[in-house]
Amino acid sequence: METLDALAGGFANALMPAHLGWALAGTTLGTAVGVLPGIGPALTVALLLPVTFSLDPISAFIMFGGIYYGAMYGGSTTSILLNSPGETASIATAIDGHAMARQGRGTAALTTAAIGSFVAGTLATLALTFCAPALAAVALRFGPAEYFALTVLAFTTVSVLLGTSVVRGLFSLFLGLALGLVGIDQLTGNARFSFGIPQLLDGIDVVILVIGLFAVGETIFQAWRHGRDDTSAVALHDFTGMNREEWRRSWKPWLRGTAIGFPLGVLPCGGPVIPTFLSYMVERRLSDTPEQFGHGAIEGVAGPEAANNAAAAGVLVPLLTLGLPSSATAAVLLTAFQQYGLQPGPLLFSARPDLVWTLIASLYVGNVMLLVLNLPLAGLWARVMLVPKPLLFGGILVLASLGAYSLNASMLDLGLLYVVGAIACAMRVYDVPLVPAVLGLILGPLSEQHFRRAMAISEGNPLVFVTHGISAAFLLLAVAVLLGPFLFNRWRTAGPVTTLDREPEPQRE
Amino acid sequence: MRWRLTLAVVLVVVAAPAFAQPAFDQLRLIAPAAPGGGWDQTARVMQQVLLRTAIARTVPVENVPGAAGTIGLARFVSAERGNREVVMVSGLIMLAAIVTHQSPVTLHDVTPIARITGEYEVIVVPSASPFRSLQEFIQAFKAHPESISWGGGSAGGTDQILAGLVSDAVGVAPTRVNYIAFSGGGEAMSAILGGQVSVGINGLAEFQAQIEARTVRVLGISSAERLPGLDAPTLREQGVDVELENWRSVVAPPGISPDDREHVTKAIEAMVRLPEWRAALERYRWLDRYLAGAAFERFVTAEEVRVRGILSKLGLNGATTTIVSASAYPAFVLAGLFATGLAAVLTMWTRTRREPADNDRSRWQPVAVLAAGVILDLAFIESLGFVLASAALFWFTARAFDSRRPVRDALFAIGVSVSSYLLFARALQLQLPAGLLAGWF
Repeated sequence: METLDALAGGFANALMPAHLGWALAGTTLGTAVGVLPGIGPALTVALLLPVTFSLDPISAFIMFGGIYYGAMYGGSTTSILLNSPGETASIATAIDGHAMARQGRGTAALTTAAIGSFVAGTLATLALTFCAPALAAVALRFGPAEYFALTVLAFTTVSVLLGTSVVRGLFSLFLGLALGLVGIDQLTGNARFSFGIPQLLDGIDVVILVIGLFAVGETIFQAWRHGRDDTSAVALHDFTGMNREEWRRSWKPWLRGTAIGFPLGVLPCGGPVIPTFLSYMVERRLSDTPEQFGHGAIEGVAGPEAANNAAAAGVLVPLLTLGLPSSATAAVLLTAFQQYGLQPGPLLFSARPDLVWTLIASLYVGNVMLLVLNLPLAGLWARVMLVPKPLLFGGILVLASLGAYSLNASMLDLGLLYVVGAIACAMRVYDVPLVPAVLGLILGPLSEQHFRRAMAISEGNPLVFVTHGISAAFLLLAVAVLLGPFLFNRWRTAGPVTTLDREPEPQRE
Repeated sequence: MRWRLTLAVVLVVVAAPAFAQPAFDQLRLIAPAAPGGGWDQTARVMQQVLLRTAIARTVPVENVPGAAGTIGLARFVSAERGNREVVMVSGLIMLAAIVTHQSPVTLHDVTPIARITGEYEVIVVPSASPFRSLQEFIQAFKAHPESISWGGGSAGGTDQILAGLVSDAVGVAPTRVNYIAFSGGGEAMSAILGGQVSVGINGLAEFQAQIEARTVRVLGISSAERLPGLDAPTLREQGVDVELENWRSVVAPPGISPDDREHVTKAIEAMVRLPEWRAALERYRWLDRYLAGAAFERFVTAEEVRVRGILSKLGLNGATTTIVSASAYPAFVLAGLFATGLAAVLTMWTRTRREPADNDRSRWQPVAVLAAGVILDLAFIESLGFVLASAALFWFTARAFDSRRPVRDALFAIGVSVSSYLLFARALQLQLPAGLLAGWF
């Protein structure tokens, strides 16, 4: 009851007309800046922070809520329409979202992303309102052993993404793992594979790899194809929203994506990558038509988009209750809070309830704003597909180079961007999937570090991974995901099994 | 220029009290770290205070992240030599990183201005920990050094330095400290609060909220004397003769005149005396540790000797001994890459033998045109500037897609690059090279 009263007070603040104006301004700015490749949520919030300096705390917090959710949402638009995810949160969305856009269902993909984000954002904000402290306590039980087991579970999603050839999929994965080796070894401070180049000491930036592989790679690949088949099939465009069938297929992935994204967002482990890909894997396993995945399955857009927005709310749990920034974006938000003399931590809810509850209320408001803003715009955005190719790809390359250069103001990054783009084009020509490489780059170092930390804490005893309950459960789940369909199929048909990842999961709802 | 002025005027009108003639038309602040960290926070607080009080008319902040500040330092020394309108934030962690990364550029290569803030370190345990006091903890540590895991921030940072100093002071070889480095404050804090490690080390500011809520117990603080209003015994009063603070300072580029140095120092001194600065220190829980001139130079030299000594005792400028070898995983990855690469090439080779090769050279033309645009972009972005290089990139890309309308493409090229430059470099203050057109916008 106390929570409800406090929340009502927050809403009273957030719903004042002037404050609604700030919320609208925040979501618009957040979405607009978040759309651009390379300018992810962390940078968006950091860039827009000075805009809020001159506002009173309450207006500023309302604007933050909008900017934060807007930036999280913005990335999905470019992923779906241009196959150019600007940051890691929307890579999973790009796989089926872009396939849908090519088939002329771009508006439907954008709509399911917008509604999924709204549903997930609202449910996750509800969870944040009512069970933040309890969740934070659970999150603290996660140590290196548990995180290692979680990355192992995430690696099993790769089996879903390997594409048509296991060998080429694994090659892509190992390429990502190898790129992840570059840079300072976090545990010892020693440089590995940096070849004496100081800029490589911090490793290869995931953002460069993502923009290079997708945005630049797509441009080069299209140019390469342009010289080959001049009769590129023009899809019939259909700018209507979701049809009944698409609604039916979307609502469960929204809910499941939320259920996966929120708790994983609470954990400081690799940002939105693990939740989005786990959601993708779950949707594919539960689907009646797993063969559609990769060719425009709407579940593959609805699930991950819900998961990444739910994770964005999850990030706020440790931030508000413990003062723990579990991602780069959270670290920037922490700075923003401190700007107003707000020290997130165990005492925050009792010390400054007015600001906290206004922030939470403004998250609800921001979510509604996003929906109001993006639903009508979905059809408009989707018309980007009608821009002539020369202008479209010219624009993509200019924005990609802008994002890559301004990340560190480094020529090396810009050069790396184009090299990665060229490699991506070659990979696509030879039908090597791109996504496993990104997962390898992100998950490889995480997995290695947590493994070594766990081993160091246990003084070299590998049993630590099975004696910890949560860790053992994750590892079992990973084994079940890998072997489950295989064993089940053998039991059911008592015959040989051809491919592992083509089999549908037995337990359907 | 007009853009910049408008922005400055808006900020001044909104925020500034009437003030005398500004000391700087522009004072650029370089934070050699990504947004969100301590150096970035310091730079952004300085930005606010300098703007609000109109010490400088415009104060852009640039982030140059990488390798604990040594990338930013190297760039600062080479690119800003002689520039009197730019300063960089630096500090203890940079000093340590210079040693561990064997950086060829050091703090001797810049013009020191002043130390401005400091933060003490605390050694904490969760309130449920069996260690009730520093004594109990030290006893356990001396009995079985490796069984005690010390959680803290990145390897070679302030936290590990303190672990090394404490271990050295109680007579255990620092190489035997089982230090678990976590990337980023959040990860380390959750491991400490969750009891994943025996003991945690972190900055006081990060833990203050936890200390007040009594979820953690302070075994010792690295200050010389107890801090007012904080129930935390010092390390020194408990017989561990160690003092450490994570200080942050401001440096100017090399090659500026003594007058310019004086001018910058005066501006910083004026800044730290302002009530706005004091209020900011309060908010971020930083200590006022202002120290300038020769005293500051002596301080840096002393710190350098101490840091270098403890890092070599910790084995951080050479090979370290960790329980799990650091080389097993890279070997596995490289072997896997080689094996799958070979297998992929073999399967592709058998496949292409079955299909006719595609040797028509003219079909490579679009890719070649695109490559020309990319090469021009790389060659000229820093000399001619973002606008011209991007316009060329756009135009060539458009040509690659077989455009028969060069004039339309050129117009769009200029429109797109100019508008993105204005939006990002001017309105959002991203770092894009202005080049030839520097005076135009």
